[in-house]
Amino acid sequence: MPISKFALIRSTVAAFLVGLAALLAIVGTTLWLVSEARTYSDLSVAVRLQRAALVDLRSLLQDTETGQRGFLLTAEDAYLAPYEQARRQLAAQLELVRERLSGDPSLAAPVARIAEIIDAKIAEMQDTIDLVRAGRRDDAVAIVRSDRGRALMEEARGIFDRLIRGAEDRIGDAVRHQYGTISWLIWVTLLGALVIVGVVAAAAWMATVYTRQLVAAQEEVRALNAGLEQRVAERTADLGRANDEIQRFAYIVTHDLRAPLVNIMGFTSELEASLGAIRAWFEKAGVPADDPLAGEARLAAVEDAPEAIGFIRSSTRKMDGLINAILKLSREGRRTLRPERVELGALLSAAAESIQHQVVEAGGEVTLAPDLPSVVSDRLALEQVFGNLLDNAVKYRSPDRPIRIAIRARPEPGQRILVEVEDNGRGIAPQDHERVFDLFRRSGAQDQPGEGIGLAHVRAMVRNLGGDVTLASEVGRGTTMRLNLPRDLRQVARTAGSEPT
Amino acid sequence: MNQNARPVRIVMIEDDEGHARLIEKNIRRAGVNNEILPFTNGTEALAYLLGEDGSGEVSARRQLLILLDLNLPDMTGIDILEKLKSNQHTRRSPVVVLTTTDDAREIQRCYDLGANVYITKPVNYEGFANAIRQLGLFFAVMQVPETD
Repeated sequence: MPISKFALIRSTVAAFLVGLAALLAIVGTTLWLVSEARTYSDLSVAVRLQRAALVDLRSLLQDTETGQRGFLLTAEDAYLAPYEQARRQLAAQLELVRERLSGDPSLAAPVARIAEIIDAKIAEMQDTIDLVRAGRRDDAVAIVRSDRGRALMEEARGIFDRLIRGAEDRIGDAVRHQYGTISWLIWVTLLGALVIVGVVAAAAWMATVYTRQLVAAQEEVRALNAGLEQRVAERTADLGRANDEIQRFAYIVTHDLRAPLVNIMGFTSELEASLGAIRAWFEKAGVPADDPLAGEARLAAVEDAPEAIGFIRSSTRKMDGLINAILKLSREGRRTLRPERVELGALLSAAAESIQHQVVEAGGEVTLAPDLPSVVSDRLALEQVFGNLLDNAVKYRSPDRPIRIAIRARPEPGQRILVEVEDNGRGIAPQDHERVFDLFRRSGAQDQPGEGIGLAHVRAMVRNLGGDVTLASEVGRGTTMRLNLPRDLRQVARTAGSEPT
Repeated sequence: MNQNARPVRIVMIEDDEGHARLIEKNIRRAGVNNEILPFTNGTEALAYLLGEDGSGEVSARRQLLILLDLNLPDMTGIDILEKLKSNQHTRRSPVVVLTTTDDAREIQRCYDLGANVYITKPVNYEGFANAIRQLGLFFAVMQVPETD
């Protein structure tokens, strides 16, 4: 199952939240249960204290009765001691019971009843003791026999038992509740731990799957990349072959076009020579006035035929020029490049030197930047390129101002340099910026000799050197030719034009 | 050219009949009156030069000067040049390569194979006529050996 990046983020966040919730639940429940446990443990301590107080109170009451009984039987004060002692403690113990049981309002009534019973019982016992002391032992026994004291005692015992049992029940409840709390804690912790483990496992699984996916995708990208490079190499080779083919084609075509042209030109010359003979004959013999045919023949020999020959000649000359231009281009494309270290500064100052005469005559100057770099390239091609560009700059200068040519260079990314040849000449109209690089195309006023070959040749050579040439120009302001060249021709993957000899 | 008993024969191998005619005219203008044998393809020319059996026996004791174009319909002039210069009967015959190609490698190759002269046909006719006439003048003073 593929996992998208967003699904991964969503589920990771969800897992994180679930895990956090589980952890919070564990911590919260633990805190709550601990406070519960403390409450119940406090409660059970209090109840134990209640029970202890009640038990003590019951013992004291029984002690008083025991002492009283002993005294009744023996009439000796020694037996009365426990009674006295317990009686002295009873009030305090009762107070303690009251205090410890004060938390539960439902126990107020039984406690009050116990207090009453204690008072009544003490009063009854005191009566019997007083009667014994007064020697009226029978009366005292009679009081005892009245069962009033026994009934009180029974009642007190019943209340004590109930209270003590109630306390014990409450302790048992608290303990049971604590057990319940502890098992709750265990369950919640277990469950929370399970959830956390589950979430962690799910997150780990997602991460693993996603990572695996990423690795697979990376592999795929790498494979694609390799394929792409291969394809680029193949295409480049195809292009190189196509280019070679075109170069060869151009070469063969132009070459084969020259042969018939030689014939046309040659026989035109022969024709002209023959015509010369005819003309000479007419001049020598003159034209008989009575022969219209002779007049026409003379006209043909003297005017029509030379005119026709003139047109043939000018056309063949033009065609010859065009063929030579194409031949030159294709030959340049086929020339084996010889990469060598070329100091652009030296090369450009030599190129500038060759136009110096014309520049000085026009009152202008050529400025070379001082920091021109060196490149590894074909010296001859570079000389021709810059020679052409500088020639153009001089040729198409503006007549309104002294010519200024500036040459500078700067590095470009990818081990390339950009050389700029800027002039203040007449400029090139925007629609011709690309066109001037085409063969036989020229721009602006056709007031200078030329065939429209120079820039086409420049572009062909620069491209052959692994570079390109573009221009920026404004009519009336000047033109900047920009040559983007590789620093090292050998690093440029290019086979076209550098076929092995 | 060799005004001996056996006159020197000029073998012109040129597929373009116009060129052949112009060459002939201009050689004549230089005062060369030797017989010119034109061939428009390599096969016929080789048949004449080396014989039907290709041994070159037929050329024994001939005095030949060969004008050779490189662009022929059935083979390249270089093949012919190679055959002539490797055949013992024809190897001493001067071969003048007269072609439109001015490719430096082609020129080197022809001289390597033993071409005696390499001339690129000028494209404009004045140059062409002039070159051929000079070639004709050169022929006039040139010694052509008799083949073995």
